[in-house]
Amino acid sequence: MSHSIRLWLVVLCLFSAHFIMHVGFGLGPEVPDMLTIALLLAAREIGIGGATGLGLAFGLLEDSLSVLAFGASSVAMTITGALGATTRNLFVGDSLSFQLSYFILGKWARDLLHWVMAGEALRLPFLEQVMLNGFLGGVYAAAIAVPLMVLLGSRRREAR
Amino acid sequence: MVAFRPEPEYAEGQRRQNILAILFCILALVTAYIPADMQQSIAWSMRVTALRPFIVTQQWVAAAKENAAEAGILRAQLDSLTASVSSQADLLDENRILRDLLDLAERGEAYFLPATVLRSGIPGSESTFFLELGSGDGIENGAPVVNRHGLVGRILEVRQEISVGMDWTHPDFRVSAMLQDGRTYGIVENRRGAFREEDRLVLNGTAYYETVPDDTLVVTSGLGGLFPRGIPIGRIAGIEEVQGQWRKAYRLQPMVEPGSATHVIVFTNPSPKNLYQLWSDDSSSTVEEEIAERRDP
Repeated sequence: MSHSIRLWLVVLCLFSAHFIMHVGFGLGPEVPDMLTIALLLAAREIGIGGATGLGLAFGLLEDSLSVLAFGASSVAMTITGALGATTRNLFVGDSLSFQLSYFILGKWARDLLHWVMAGEALRLPFLEQVMLNGFLGGVYAAAIAVPLMVLLGSRRREAR
Repeated sequence: MVAFRPEPEYAEGQRRQNILAILFCILALVTAYIPADMQQSIAWSMRVTALRPFIVTQQWVAAAKENAAEAGILRAQLDSLTASVSSQADLLDENRILRDLLDLAERGEAYFLPATVLRSGIPGSESTFFLELGSGDGIENGAPVVNRHGLVGRILEVRQEISVGMDWTHPDFRVSAMLQDGRTYGIVENRRGAFREEDRLVLNGTAYYETVPDDTLVVTSGLGGLFPRGIPIGRIAGIEEVQGQWRKAYRLQPMVEPGSATHVIVFTNPSPKNLYQLWSDDSSSTVEEEIAERRDP
């Protein structure tokens, strides 16, 4: 099976798992943000156009369930996709430390953008939502994503 | 994740990617600022297509949990009720005749529909919930949502088979309220704390010289016509703020903790104007009081 097909299968699985856990089982932050993980994974593989398109699609789906601030997730995910794809041109490395930083900062950036777009009346305090939840969510996402990348074989391909 | 790859050989491809990215970014920004009606149309189309399987999954999970947890209890209750009802048929007839003589209103069963609360764990959806009731069941926008303790929230949007509601932790939640004895009127609103756990209900806009003792029950006043009169909201739990010498706001201990409300009742149209008879004073208690009573009977 080619790497590209494997990647899209993983993205599809993460997408399904995210909505089954968060919507089907109604679980909150105890389950990681697998949609952002899927976006960040895909953003390193596809071009910036595809990454922003995927981010917009994911964001719209999330916005459909968050009646409070429609558009906040769309903007956050689209820009996160664009930033993720841009790292392809900026960072050559694919080391463990880079991957950890990539997922932690990626998730944190997504939460920061969502906080900015959500509007003053609706968002939680910056300290709670961005600094605390955003950072912890980033660490949680990285803890899931990095082993997933090892399984996906990305790091082995680099070593060759 | 792949290792670094050289730039595409043809700059045209990269330019096309950049144009696509800009286009998607603009589209994303547009979705945030288009009118609310259009936003809700998009949201509904997503919910009934791509997200439908996940919402249905939650309905199954909720039903399965309910069945597994309560089958034994329900069977015991049904047996007791059957025995009780069969022995009280005469009393029911007598009660009906007396109610007719006194011209008492019927109990509220005809105005209500029970529903299971479905919540998603998506960020931003904390104060909203789905109900598997819709316009086909007689539910309308703005219908009050209650449980046996009191007011949970209200319906925001209705479609044929499903509706979206908001609980009192929603920033837009407002309800016209009064003390149970009708002495003082005001507006109950949600006030955000530094953390979500500090969110609270506040009875605002009461007169400065009107002193309200702690533990007084606050109910809906019926003003404005959105909520019927007499639904318990909370109990006074101290002064929240004083403005000059003309206004006081009181902190409320809510009757309902939205996170623990798994089953609710929704008013169908038309709903009654006055609901005092449904929550008698001696039976109204908050969730916390009930837990405390169970611990120390």
